[in-house]
Amino acid sequence: MTDPKQGISEREAIEQAKQGNEAAFEVLYQLHKRRVYSLCLRMVSNPAQAEDLAQEAFLQLFRKIGTFRGESAFSTWLHRMTVNVVLMQLRKKGLPVVSLEETLEADNEAPRKEFGSRDVKLTGSIDRLQLQRAIDRLPPGYRTVFVLHDVEGFEHNEIAQMVGCSVGNSKSQLHKARLKLREYLKFMRAEKAKTG
Amino acid sequence: MTCSEVERVLPELLADAPDGALPEKFEAHVKFCPACSDLISDLKLISAEARQLAASEEPAPRVWVRISAQLRSEGLIHDPESAPAQPVLAPASTPPRWRWSALWLAPVAAAILAAGSYVISHKPAPPVAKQQTPATQATAPAAVTAAVTPAPAPARAPQQLAQKSAKPESVKSARVARPAVEPAPSAEDQQFLSAVSTFTPAMRTTYELQLQAVNADIRETQAYVDRNPGDMDARQHLMDAYQLKALLYQIALDRIQ
Repeated sequence: MTDPKQGISEREAIEQAKQGNEAAFEVLYQLHKRRVYSLCLRMVSNPAQAEDLAQEAFLQLFRKIGTFRGESAFSTWLHRMTVNVVLMQLRKKGLPVVSLEETLEADNEAPRKEFGSRDVKLTGSIDRLQLQRAIDRLPPGYRTVFVLHDVEGFEHNEIAQMVGCSVGNSKSQLHKARLKLREYLKFMRAEKAKTG
Repeated sequence: MTCSEVERVLPELLADAPDGALPEKFEAHVKFCPACSDLISDLKLISAEARQLAASEEPAPRVWVRISAQLRSEGLIHDPESAPAQPVLAPASTPPRWRWSALWLAPVAAAILAAGSYVISHKPAPPVAKQQTPATQATAPAAVTAAVTPAPAPARAPQQLAQKSAKPESVKSARVARPAVEPAPSAEDQQFLSAVSTFTPAMRTTYELQLQAVNADIRETQAYVDRNPGDMDARQHLMDAYQLKALLYQIALDRIQ
């Protein structure tokens, strides 16, 4: 990966950042800031908090950059660190990373399709703003798994390890999150049709 | 196979074959069941659209300013002279006459802090609000001390700035639409950008964007404080914004010296 503005590769920037070069730190920040901030924002749904978390993730990264040996991709290292920073924060605030209550509640209250009657389909496209709003409305536990899997592309076994749940629980939470999102999106679409 | 059976195994099925075909016996049901068919295609659509959301948001420029300040305060950033590697952006050496001519940045940074302190401390605030927020009263004298010191102590201000809270919700919710065209930079800002262009041309855009962001923040918060002089959170945020601007000048000075 190369920062087009600075004409320096990520590998070069890492080496120079290890020497304490501020500009190299900034190159690394510029290369990864959007992904890190977006991840934080989606997981906490609060821009101010997301800024603080992104800041903390980068600071942890820069403090430990001397230990990076390049066996894994730098971006993978950074994103795992970011997820850990966010999960730590959620735990500190007492918010469920994956909650049993949500699972039970979802079993009772998860949107169910009405068999025999056809649902309104989302018809092949989803407004991204609406999708983002729907994600923001998800309970924190569902949101965590959904963001990590569907937005960030982590595998279920990685998520299970990070959040401390079983692989089956991760799959189940993801499915319920998607079902809830579908209901929210259909509701938003119906509201828009009414008002518009 | 029934709809209930499909529903029961769907989490596993979609996890194992997110984009691929479902097993034959499920396909046979889904083919003739519009409800199940719609459900599965919607869930796949949500998943596919979600992937497009990754990395779509940009953090405010102040995030880097805070990170940079914190790195400095922790001693993780070394001066280019002492670093063995060649700086990425800044020239390896700067002519001494330019270094001396840029020393005006230090008093300007101090003056910005002094101006911020003055503006904030001379705004009338209701007596009740004053009693409720001793933190604000404690901040202003510290800022004034920094302002009268010719060379501001970089270790202290960055540490404070790195921990500053984001804009209060009250200010955010009252945010007015920014003008399409940003106001012209002040004479000091123009001089500042000109100095940055001379010493570290590649950094001009970064500093310019950060300066625009912090100036816009000051303007917005100032307008809000004018309307709500009793909102101590907003006043504190205004002081933070002035400190952030002074820090920008200070960081530029550190690079140049």
